[in-house]
Amino acid sequence: MSYEPKIVGFLCNWCSYTGADLAGTSRIQYPANVRIIRVMCSARIDPTFVMDALAQGADGVLICGCHPGDCHYSEGNYKAMRRFPLLKNLLKSYGIEDDRVRQAWVSASEGQRFADIVGDMTERVRALGPSRVHSTLLADQRER
Amino acid sequence: MDELKIGVYVCNCGTNIAHIVNAEGVKEAAAALPDVVIARSYRYMCSNPGQEMIVKDIQELGLNRVVVAACSPRMHERTFRNACKTGGLNPYLFEMANIREQCSWVHADKLAATEKAKALTHGAVNRVRHHEPLDSLTAEMCPSTLVLGGGIAGMTAALELAMAGHPVYLVEKADHLGGNLARVDSTAPYLDSARDLLTERITHLRENPDISIMLNSQLKSLSGFIGNFSATIETNGGPNPPERKVIPVGNVVVATGYKEFDASRITHYGYGKLPDVITSFEFEQMMRAGRIQTKSGKPPQYVAIIHCVGSRNQEFHGYCSRVCCMTALKYANEIKSALPDSYVSDVYIDMHAFGKGCEDFYKKSSEIKTLFLMYGKNESPVIRKAGPNDDCGMLIEVDEKLSGERIEIPADLVILMVGMEARPDAGEVARLVNISADKDGWFIESHPKLDPVATTTDGIYIAGTCAAPKDIPDSVAQARAAAGRILAKIAKGKIEIDGVFAEINEDRCSGCRMCNELCPYSAIEFYADKKRSHVIPAACKACGACVAACPSGAIKGRHFTDQQIYAQIEGVLA
Repeated sequence: MSYEPKIVGFLCNWCSYTGADLAGTSRIQYPANVRIIRVMCSARIDPTFVMDALAQGADGVLICGCHPGDCHYSEGNYKAMRRFPLLKNLLKSYGIEDDRVRQAWVSASEGQRFADIVGDMTERVRALGPSRVHSTLLADQRER
Repeated sequence: MDELKIGVYVCNCGTNIAHIVNAEGVKEAAAALPDVVIARSYRYMCSNPGQEMIVKDIQELGLNRVVVAACSPRMHERTFRNACKTGGLNPYLFEMANIREQCSWVHADKLAATEKAKALTHGAVNRVRHHEPLDSLTAEMCPSTLVLGGGIAGMTAALELAMAGHPVYLVEKADHLGGNLARVDSTAPYLDSARDLLTERITHLRENPDISIMLNSQLKSLSGFIGNFSATIETNGGPNPPERKVIPVGNVVVATGYKEFDASRITHYGYGKLPDVITSFEFEQMMRAGRIQTKSGKPPQYVAIIHCVGSRNQEFHGYCSRVCCMTALKYANEIKSALPDSYVSDVYIDMHAFGKGCEDFYKKSSEIKTLFLMYGKNESPVIRKAGPNDDCGMLIEVDEKLSGERIEIPADLVILMVGMEARPDAGEVARLVNISADKDGWFIESHPKLDPVATTTDGIYIAGTCAAPKDIPDSVAQARAAAGRILAKIAKGKIEIDGVFAEINEDRCSGCRMCNELCPYSAIEFYADKKRSHVIPAACKACGACVAACPSGAIKGRHFTDQQIYAQIEGVLA
């Protein structure tokens, strides 16, 4: 059976969410695998959101914010950027593949870039196959 | 908590959504979710009947949560929040699912798009359960305005505000008012005197008791928020040490203008080496002095005007500087009337004659026998010194596009139409007032078409050429628009502050002060006596950086709470 990965995208309101909207108004096509959740700033994205999304069954998580130097809140994206390697380390220690969680910068004028990122990520996550986080957690719960 | 009653409305947006997403299917899936008491699908939810449907359901079915699956919340969130309000529901008890921009418009696979729309709607329903009624706050609006820049835009904004009887601080870096306009002789296309325009403005400014003109002054810092800014201005008073003054202002107009392109950066024009190659500003000086002459003091026989110096060129600036074409024609006219026997060549890429009266002016300039030569965007003319046998000082080689030939023209005086560029301190100004600049250094407006003078920071407006190259009428219009926006706010007296901000649970706060440092708006203060941090709601812009960072989980980001986001994650993945 073919597998359709589920990707949760956390997008900042000012650049990336607007960029994703622009992909829409420009009718740029990309895979329907991404489900977008809007936050005001990429700095709001608590690493536990990413962990939670994986635990709830996401096969991949995408974090998007304004380009460095262009944050609506001056430097929120730098905070997100600094937080990200720590999250990556944690994910690695859990054995979660690198390609499953990605951080990217998308400005309000980059509809095409957003579509390209989603397309690329969908293919990478598809290649990895379904994430085992959710099923492992379910199995753990059953054992208890 | 009262029993939850959620209403879900799936918009078809004509066929924009419904031609890809099975709206009926989304509606039915939503109807099956817990706490959903009504789910409807309708042709245009944003239409009056669509909104009335929501109002009626709130009143008749006692809905206490509303979800609309439609376009982007950036489009119609406010519309539906207002509908909720009309129905008697707190507008924050509403959530949108974006099934148009982020679904039907970007996917062709109907099945996958419908599944995604169901998931997004499920996420919204999950999220809205945890929404809380929020009230907006009010704060006082200080009626004083700070205007940065004493050029035509800044002066106009200051006058407009002061004529309505409100105090204005007009801060200018130089020791005189007028900005770049003070360096110009006359203006295109009607050839009226720049000095007259300035004198009119400056006289009125000086007569107005509500305007404090601060020359030799600069903004050093700006703190606070709309209606309640505190600006520190530094004035350099000659031999005395600089003086600092702190002034309270409600709004700020940034009108810091432009600087001209440095022509010596284009080496093949020989600016700075060939004495009779001058910039447009140097020619203005000549006009003001009333003598058009070469360095040797003789009137030139041949004058060449070169357009797009530093503009429309990938190496320097890609954009058009907008005013140079008409200024060049102005020069052609002025030279011909001062020196009727001279020959004027106008070397251009394209003639941009878009403003009122400009096309007629172009036509008129052709009739006075100006020689127009067209060059290609990346084939700049080359200027060299003429030989002893030539009857002119310089020779200009142009790959003329219309004839397809390489043409050599004589010149005794070459005028380079230098373009506009962002001032070198534009980045510093942007940082001080917390606005953004684009890749070229021009300040970014809130919306390029619908909101061209506001910025993404409330209370900060931009006018004139600091936002992009523009001519005097456009600068004046923008300055008046900015003043108009501010006057409307002052007239209202109070400002409404969105109910979305962060709040700290003092019982949980450990007083570590990590959030104090993180906040870009200094909106978190520390109560030393209680050893607790506290958010100043009016200063908070709700970015949520502190919420995610608090090690004690003591900070709640209203309307973007952990609970709401977790619920949404669960919903979109269900």
